[in-house]
Amino acid sequence: MSDITVESEIAGTVWKIEASPGDSLEEEGIIMILESMKMEIPVLAPEDGTLSEVLVSEGDTIREGQPLAKLSRGG
Amino acid sequence: MSYEEQLEELARREAQAKAMGGEEKLARRTEQGLLNARSRLDALLDRDSFREVGLLAQSAIRADRDTTPADGKVSGFGRVEGRDIAVVSNDLTVKGASSSATNAKKIAYIKTTATRSGMPVVFLGESSGARIPDTMGAESMSQGGADPQQYCRRRETPWASAVLGPCFGSSTWYSCLSDFLVMRKGATLAVSSARVTSLAIGETVDPEELGGWRLHSEVTGLADAVADSDEEALELVRRFLSYLPSHAGEAPPVQSAGEWRAPNGDDILALVPPERTRVYDIRKIIRAVADEGSVFPLKERFGKAVVTALARMEGQSVGFVATNPMIRGGAMDPDACRKASDFLVMCDSFNIPVILLVDTPGFLVGVSGERKAAPAHIMNMMHALQLVSVPKVSVILRKSYGQAFLNMGGGRNSDEIAAWTSAEVSFMDPGVGASVVHGLKRDEDPEAFDAAADALRKDTSAYDMASVFGVQSVIDPRDTRDFLVAALATHRRRLSNGIGRREMANWPTYF
Repeated sequence: MSDITVESEIAGTVWKIEASPGDSLEEEGIIMILESMKMEIPVLAPEDGTLSEVLVSEGDTIREGQPLAKLSRGG
Repeated sequence: MSYEEQLEELARREAQAKAMGGEEKLARRTEQGLLNARSRLDALLDRDSFREVGLLAQSAIRADRDTTPADGKVSGFGRVEGRDIAVVSNDLTVKGASSSATNAKKIAYIKTTATRSGMPVVFLGESSGARIPDTMGAESMSQGGADPQQYCRRRETPWASAVLGPCFGSSTWYSCLSDFLVMRKGATLAVSSARVTSLAIGETVDPEELGGWRLHSEVTGLADAVADSDEEALELVRRFLSYLPSHAGEAPPVQSAGEWRAPNGDDILALVPPERTRVYDIRKIIRAVADEGSVFPLKERFGKAVVTALARMEGQSVGFVATNPMIRGGAMDPDACRKASDFLVMCDSFNIPVILLVDTPGFLVGVSGERKAAPAHIMNMMHALQLVSVPKVSVILRKSYGQAFLNMGGGRNSDEIAAWTSAEVSFMDPGVGASVVHGLKRDEDPEAFDAAADALRKDTSAYDMASVFGVQSVIDPRDTRDFLVAALATHRRRLSNGIGRREMANWPTYF
């Protein structure tokens, strides 16, 4: 199983982390929610997999392209 | 020679041509779960509808004649759902379906006939590129360039392409020129093969990295759809064609009553949170307003802040362009603009009315977008929208801000606009405006910030827009489908029988 790094598509703040390492996620399952542009923007799993690592904490300011989490392909 | 002997000779030659690259190669493909050039035609076309031209074509090199059945490219005409199409199916078992002088003539013949007779062209791609050594040298190179219109696209008829194996050379070029490109997982689309590329640049290149489905569905946006098998890819080609007219001189086919069903009545109010900070998936709204099962998304994994999808409203083909708040709040980046431009050009070129669903905080700003020439892509999209001459109708669901308001059909950039009761329109989000105009930050002075934001929120509602005729109606969200059906009927181009001006017909097939 190869790891996929999930990067932020937008600059903002980590508001809520919804999934924990070990969680099985379907494609487009919510990993965390960012606050950006006055909106709550979800970070979604790019494909089915198991969340292996969360690389940020709630309240962190993040930049576009910053790695947020790692997902092991295939669940 | 007697007629009997002549007919035996014809039968022998036909059987030899239909045997393609031989039993062994064909058996190997079957073991791998792959169809071959002829069984792909069986899967694509209506039963027994294929009429081949060029079956007995062979390499122009005399020594290769016996080893080049159909010269590696099976070509002809057939029907999809009873409608005529032209087709080229590459046969990788014959010299890698490489391009040669003879099969170039076959492709040219198919394209010319389809254009003259008003038929879509389908390319089933799997080819290794130019045939070497045939194409080496000046004489061959000058022959190869004999047709100065070979790669011109004027969208007289739709072109669809399925990338079903290694695609280099002609299969790649015609795929890139097509209006629809579906890629089978495991296939490759690139200029040259991984082997040739590795030799040229002196490092090992992985075929998937060089031109796999992930690259083209997520990074380049060349692939409109991805399939797990040959059969699925060919079914997607059939489905794509079902939305398109056979040629640009007619309106798309319309399903008769009984062939389409209204959507299943999802509660649209439950799909869109009234809170302006909460996001939702616009694809659910498209499915809730379009005919049941009719939504056919294109480039789903690319430029995802905007959704582009063919669909039907009461049996009539339409193209949805919808910002998706689920992705970056619906803020379009350069890739989203490229995707929207591409789709608008196709819809307008083939007389497919456009529906815009709008919920966007504006364009995504930032250094990475500017490095990708965001302003130019925003203007390409705007230019395309303004040249769209088929009906264009828009609905503002919640936010529509700034230049994105215009790019998504605001002002006179739609024939008609309806606003949901939750719509708000302005140059920028009032909260952002409070910071930009007054230099306020909420965490430093919440009272002053909220007062300034409230002041900027005035005159932004659906009713404010309606009062200045900036939208033509304010609607109950649950009436969205009814509004769209009625507005499309009102704005139908009766004078030209549904045909647009097609001013973008020769715009590029990739942005």
